[in-house]
Amino acid sequence: MITAGVDIGSSTSKAVILDDRQILSYSIISTSFESETSARKAVDQALSKVGQISQEDIRWIIATGYGRVIVTFANETVTELSCHARGANWLFPSVRTVLDMGGQDCKAIKCDDRGNLLNFVMNDKCAAGTGRFLEVMARVTELYLEDIGEFSLQADEVIKISSTCAVFGKSEVASLLRQGKKKTDILAGLHTAISNRVYTLLRRVGITPDFAITGGIAKNIGVVRRLEERSGLKVLLPDEPQIVGALGAALFAQDKLSNQ
Amino acid sequence: MVQSTSARKSLRTTLEVPTLRKSYYAQTLDDSKKGKKVAWCSNNIPSEILDAMDITSVFLENYATVIASKRLASGFCAAGETVGFSQDVCGYARMLMGYVLARDKVPEPPYGGLAEPDFLLVNSYSCDSRLGWFAAMSRTLNVPLHVHDAPYQPEGPSHSAADAEYIERELRSLVAFLEEQTGTKFEPDKLRARRAISRQTSDIMYEISQLRKAVPSPMGSADMFTAVWPSMYLAGTSECEEFYNRLLAELKERIDGQIGIVPEEKFRIMWSGIPFWYDMRLINYVEDFGGIVALESFYRTRERRLPPQDDDPIKDMALSSVRQRAFPSTIIASIDDILEAVKEYSIDGVILSYNPSCRMLYVSQTELQKALEDQGIPTLGLECDMADERTYSEGQVKTRLDAFVERLLAKA
Repeated sequence: MITAGVDIGSSTSKAVILDDRQILSYSIISTSFESETSARKAVDQALSKVGQISQEDIRWIIATGYGRVIVTFANETVTELSCHARGANWLFPSVRTVLDMGGQDCKAIKCDDRGNLLNFVMNDKCAAGTGRFLEVMARVTELYLEDIGEFSLQADEVIKISSTCAVFGKSEVASLLRQGKKKTDILAGLHTAISNRVYTLLRRVGITPDFAITGGIAKNIGVVRRLEERSGLKVLLPDEPQIVGALGAALFAQDKLSNQ
Repeated sequence: MVQSTSARKSLRTTLEVPTLRKSYYAQTLDDSKKGKKVAWCSNNIPSEILDAMDITSVFLENYATVIASKRLASGFCAAGETVGFSQDVCGYARMLMGYVLARDKVPEPPYGGLAEPDFLLVNSYSCDSRLGWFAAMSRTLNVPLHVHDAPYQPEGPSHSAADAEYIERELRSLVAFLEEQTGTKFEPDKLRARRAISRQTSDIMYEISQLRKAVPSPMGSADMFTAVWPSMYLAGTSECEEFYNRLLAELKERIDGQIGIVPEEKFRIMWSGIPFWYDMRLINYVEDFGGIVALESFYRTRERRLPPQDDDPIKDMALSSVRQRAFPSTIIASIDDILEAVKEYSIDGVILSYNPSCRMLYVSQTELQKALEDQGIPTLGLECDMADERTYSEGQVKTRLDAFVERLLAKA
């Protein structure tokens, strides 16, 4: 039985197609202003990779992510908090703590052995620890977003960044660059600052091993390494961390059909 | 047109409150025109005394909630900020300082504005920002200020004779101030009559608190946040007593008929702290999932048995109030109180409002949340100002609420 999960995030939209418990395909596209259009495109793109099946073959679709309520073709919605817990726990059954670091927010999530949501803490009204913050910092240092994590690990020293506010942090970094400080050292400071900040969310929810990171920032090795250092735990990283929410949604859709 | 921000009410008696409130504010303006003395008061100033001395009381925190519920707070807060009050200052204080100092910059005030004050009365109890706020108003409006002090009660409501004596001295000092301001002699008989009504009302409210333990819930917080209004601002009047008699009868009717707020009650929530007045529909949000916000942390009447009515109405008021303080005074007492309520009212989860501009509550909420989670009670913290809707993101709040409901349902 074929199900789909579609995760409409602030930066990217993701779709996962499952046949029973097997991933048939997935897609990751940029989110446009129209959540509904992004959702359709994400599902179409995932379907096109499989061939032979169409949207009519999908028996249940669950939408998640901040744009979930606008996806009119979904049968149901589930929050991204539950979906990341479910998805990460399915990929790594030993996972009890998930840190989802997305484009717009950051969530520390606790789950049980079946991936049920037990507790969560989210960042409030602040871009620190989110993809948006790193995008701003990549821009101000004139580097590619994909590279800044690796660069941050090549530092000679860690420059202390006092502000984790995306706005004030940007001007602080610009000022350090004008002083001639090395980009790698500045990036080390930035990554340390946001890792420390995100770690407080994890502390609040309580870190129980095993611990996985999902969302786009899981691709940033600088953040991952620092969180491993802070927590003293090895971080479990999905092969494609961005699709974990959509995967969880597709799994909930499988549960739904199984229970019918 | 202003978008409706009110919670959906289920009880017909609650629906009487907006009319009562509107006529109360109209009356204060009328009184002022007729030359009656007007006092701007903080909450917890005993209105029965003012009423007995024919003084019109205007409660500023209540007016602030009216402004907020009409989604006008950002305009009032911004005016307060233009005269120098930081966004970190209490939302109520910022709004009213905007109204006082920058009246040309605020939106059209609800109910035609406030009757101008002849003097100000502030209670030191429960919040320290009020003292600075009222002192600032006293200076700028050039009207006298009286501070009504409250004893520190680390264990919460008590039977302490020393506390009662302290409150009695403070009440006599308040009366002396009012006599001086009005040139009128206090008449104990007038207060005695109001005290008798207040005591009866208190008994009724205790009974209402007890009935709200019923499953399914006969009355949720969506109603109580409104229904509490007469007890706070019409205390000691027969209008108030009659209102609660009708409310009590309606609750009994609902319990007899097993009429809940939601068709099939699946889980019960407590709301801890001040609600977000600009979107009270949030209180109803869980009802779509079979949940009910069945209780709030503030408005439970805890003790029924008051000492017999003392012939001296001031002493009577002191003896009663020492046992009936609405808020316990320390974080520990507050936590114990909430944990007890969670059991008594069959609460499955607690939503805590974190209001950064109310530092008194903010700090205790953190400890309370930890204590609840330690006891296995699921919690959700929502951080927004109680009044200033600029701090509110509906999408963020609803995602958290949705996830909290998923958590509760997964547990159930």
